[in-house]
Amino acid sequence: MSRILLWILAGLLGLAIGAGSALAMAGLLPGVADEPGGTVDVAGWRSDFAIGSVAADPYTRARIARHGLLALARSEAVYFTRARDEAGRPLSERCTYRLSGGAMPARWWSVTLYDGSGRLPMNDDAALSIDATRVGPGPWRATIAPTRPATGPWISSRKAGRFDLTLRLYVPDPALFAAPGRTLDPPTIRRLSCAGGR
Amino acid sequence: MRWAIAGLVFLAAAVIGHMAVLWAAPSVIMGGAMRAMERRGVPQDAFALAPRMTPETQSVVRPAPELAYSICRFDMSREPRGVRVRMAAWPGYSSLAFYDGATNSFARLRGDGQAREIVLLPPGSRDRDGALHAPTEKGLILIRRLAPRPADHARVQRIARGDVCRPL
Repeated sequence: MSRILLWILAGLLGLAIGAGSALAMAGLLPGVADEPGGTVDVAGWRSDFAIGSVAADPYTRARIARHGLLALARSEAVYFTRARDEAGRPLSERCTYRLSGGAMPARWWSVTLYDGSGRLPMNDDAALSIDATRVGPGPWRATIAPTRPATGPWISSRKAGRFDLTLRLYVPDPALFAAPGRTLDPPTIRRLSCAGGR
Repeated sequence: MRWAIAGLVFLAAAVIGHMAVLWAAPSVIMGGAMRAMERRGVPQDAFALAPRMTPETQSVVRPAPELAYSICRFDMSREPRGVRVRMAAWPGYSSLAFYDGATNSFARLRGDGQAREIVLLPPGSRDRDGALHAPTEKGLILIRRLAPRPADHARVQRIARGDVCRPL
């Protein structure tokens, strides 16, 4: 009898640990922040080109189901996410950043700010993102800050806390998939100042 | 011996638990999302244009504020002959994407300024020229239109009246 009880306990423990490890590895545990992930890294911007496809591995599919449900397949759009500045520091509402970039290998692009849970920050600044139509062709600059800058395009980080940015490339150049590092020159994020000086 | 068997039982159960969670997670999450959409009034067999994405109106994680979303839920158990789907023409970027009950995007059409139309058939039904089979009975159809400014979204409201998601 004690032997059967031992095996039942071993089975239940195994099930619990197996299920828990799957939840952790797929980023499904409650309270886990929406950290950028993916197998592609271009200058700190992370992406997974399998998003939106049946071919995505089960961990990617589970993670995307939680953090990016109903994403487009890569022929229509690819998503790059970054949560740190050029010095590797987490992006924070307390700081002001300069976002700089140029032309993108896509028909259209946008950069959107999300809070730590992957939501648009709850502010009414109507400055959630910038896109190709707002900055024009060629090199561009924008400010990320909790208050509107004197001039230039602005992404508001007010009420975002720690945040990340998602770069969307709509109808991307197919060369991006073969050589992302050579095809994409992603925006840089430089910290200009922080409240309290840190 | 009994400890060795207990170890094997533990390992087998851990693998089964791990794989079961990974296999079921997308369907469970998609099912929850579809029920939430139903509660918010997203109809079955008709497209509904979502409000312009703002912090107050966001209904999924990481919405793109520059896109206008029209959503139709399908349930082939109630549409045994299939569903006719039409995306009205939009001058900017637009796409028609089909998602099965496990979050997979199983088909997509790009607008390129033109209207797009297709028939969606139940899983396992007989082939039909130009039609598409749904891998699962339930799923979502999503139209995205590039509309970065409030005025663009107002234009989408007029155009979207020509979208169709209707049982055959």
